[in-house]
Amino acid sequence: MADKPVYEEASIDGQPSKLASIPASDTTVWADASPLLQAACAGLRDGELIHGDNFNLFAAMSALEIMDPKMDSGIVCTYYSIDEAIENGAAPIPISLDSTIDVCRTIDIMDHLLACEAAWHKGHSLAQTVFSCIYLLRLDRTAPHALLHSYCRIIRATCKAVVSVVSDARTHEEEDLFTMTYGLPLNGDGDDKCLSILNAVEETISRQLRACKATSSKRRLPEDLEPLQSNPNLEEGFCKALLCRLRFRKHFFHVLSCMKRPQGRGLESARKHIASCLTELESILKSADFLRSCFDESCEGDIDDKTTASGFEPIGFDAMLNSRLSAPTPPRAIKILSWKKGVEYFVKLLHDLDVICSYSLDPHLESLLRFVVQFQKSQPDLVARSHLQLLLVQDGKLYGRDPFFAVINKAAALPEATKNHDIQKNESFLQLGMLVMNLLKILCTNAAWQRRKLGKFLQDWRVIYVQLELAFRNEYGEVSSSSNDENTCMKIFQHILLWVEEQTFWIAFRFLILGFELELYSTGEYCMVYWYLYAVLIKLAEKTHLMMAVSHDTAKRKGKKKKDSPKDLARESRIPPAVLFLQCYICLAEGLTMYLSRCLLL
Amino acid sequence: MEAKPEEKAEFEEPEIEYVSYGGEHHLPLIMNLVDQELSEPYSIFTYRYFVYLWPQLSFLAFHKGKCVGTVVCKMGEHRNTFRGYIAMLVVIKPYRGRGIATELVTRSIRMMMESGCEEVTLEAEVTNKGALALYGRLGFIRAKRLFHYYLNGVDAFRLKLLFPPPRQVL
Repeated sequence: MADKPVYEEASIDGQPSKLASIPASDTTVWADASPLLQAACAGLRDGELIHGDNFNLFAAMSALEIMDPKMDSGIVCTYYSIDEAIENGAAPIPISLDSTIDVCRTIDIMDHLLACEAAWHKGHSLAQTVFSCIYLLRLDRTAPHALLHSYCRIIRATCKAVVSVVSDARTHEEEDLFTMTYGLPLNGDGDDKCLSILNAVEETISRQLRACKATSSKRRLPEDLEPLQSNPNLEEGFCKALLCRLRFRKHFFHVLSCMKRPQGRGLESARKHIASCLTELESILKSADFLRSCFDESCEGDIDDKTTASGFEPIGFDAMLNSRLSAPTPPRAIKILSWKKGVEYFVKLLHDLDVICSYSLDPHLESLLRFVVQFQKSQPDLVARSHLQLLLVQDGKLYGRDPFFAVINKAAALPEATKNHDIQKNESFLQLGMLVMNLLKILCTNAAWQRRKLGKFLQDWRVIYVQLELAFRNEYGEVSSSSNDENTCMKIFQHILLWVEEQTFWIAFRFLILGFELELYSTGEYCMVYWYLYAVLIKLAEKTHLMMAVSHDTAKRKGKKKKDSPKDLARESRIPPAVLFLQCYICLAEGLTMYLSRCLLL
Repeated sequence: MEAKPEEKAEFEEPEIEYVSYGGEHHLPLIMNLVDQELSEPYSIFTYRYFVYLWPQLSFLAFHKGKCVGTVVCKMGEHRNTFRGYIAMLVVIKPYRGRGIATELVTRSIRMMMESGCEEVTLEAEVTNKGALALYGRLGFIRAKRLFHYYLNGVDAFRLKLLFPPPRQVL
């Protein structure tokens, strides 16, 4: 039992004594500290600071000023909690008692969610974008509203799938914001059935569409079906608007599921769903005209900035409800993409995914590297890049299928038979496999991060070269060897050493070239950069040429001893096209260096 | 909403007084300037961290008693290099384009050089043409690009100025 409160005298400003809210007990007593504090006020001079031993100014920088809206995430909000928002009617179910308005508002919610999703993909937090939707935060209460419920379910399942892909690809630094889902209800019971739930709703609306078309053509269908909404003039338009939105979600979910299948087995199916997605997105865009015109009232402001097709503000969203969950940063009002831009984003994403799905899973590393470099030129976003990375590197194998030693074996123009050689268990070769795997992962990241990583990576490739060379010399100090196996090992080392050099120069070339794309070079530095490129390209061309000569040797030895036809001899003396191409680059780089150096002199 | 034509302050260069951070009385001036012009929310502790530990690296610019610009910096050991860092640089709008920012930064960099720094770095938005031009003129290079560095999704450049190695005394 609490003791009776003790009344204390306050001596500041002669105020009457106040009731103590915390009672004193047997072991505690209240003491008036006012004189002490008053004396202390004069104890510090201007600029002096008292702090604990292990608390310094650097640590103090992380301090937040409570109740400062710039820093205190909890302070800026309309509602303190989701429940309070719901109690105040922020997310009504049904949205409207008028079924026409209810359908219209539902479509607005769907559109805004798409815009939110695009904003999330582009780099904002999930909590402040997709999960700013109160309906999504309390999904179970949407159960009476089949349309909203099924749509929210599939959104949730889709978000979960996308987070999973990006998490597996292990994003870095700034892109880490994407996978932060702390406190968000991403795991739903029964979400695995989201497709069948969606299908049921789609089926109903399809029947409603057929029914209204039948009515308009004066044919009566023997269906005891309630229309979607109460205005027969708008029935067809609303049914179509809903169907394309539902179907887009269905196909998009299928794309994600297909692409997740190991070893690229689902890529062809994914392409079909991607095509369907794009068709539905076109229909979604076309539905905007209808949605804007179905009510007399027009929306204020520029339609292109709106996050819905109709132009109306969506009901049921509050980005600040989750501000405490969004990110360990001060609160930021983020701007959701406009609906149009949201659709554009998904069109681009689907095109990027289609490029990935069309890839032939070429076992030749050089082709793969060219493909990745080419793919990156279209500046794919995080979700697309993560999918590519997961396709390329699975279970420590290329495409989940080819062990990296076999891949290196082929790239180094070694005979097929050596790919299973025991030498691959050697520590250096294992590390080399890891380097190739990491190279592929790095090449799938955003250009800024990629360049920094490639720069540091060069060191690793140099080290592995030295290690391999050392191992080679230790094993085969003397050149001549009689044993067959020893000959094979020597050959493996020689080819791979050459190949490692070629790769190293290729990485250096990529590092330099990326600087242009990232706008890192000022015009005054171009001369120097082109000079470096020139130097790197010469070495690259040299190694590539050597590599091809050595591979030609291998090819020759593979074939039976045939008389060299004049054609073959001619082919041998021709410079391979790949090397010729590099020589073109060399000439360009040389020319630009000379030209720019003259410009500097002038 | 019509945009008002920007009112430029009238002054001659020698009228600007440059002062090294002198103590607590300068702190509110710096805070007001930075709070006004930059969108990042800094608590008072952030300012104190810089000006208490490296008062010699922060400078203020005054015109007729009014504080019109400031630079706030630090320096320290970072991965085996002794490096200076420019944290905040602000000049109020009516006084821009007249070299005040350049002068503030130059004074700070000079102090860093004298204190033994090997290099100076800072981050700037890739869209901040003014800052990029200013630092470019001073010899800063773009060492790295930082993807989506700022919360509004804008990338940043890490700018770096490398000091020449100290001359060998023969």
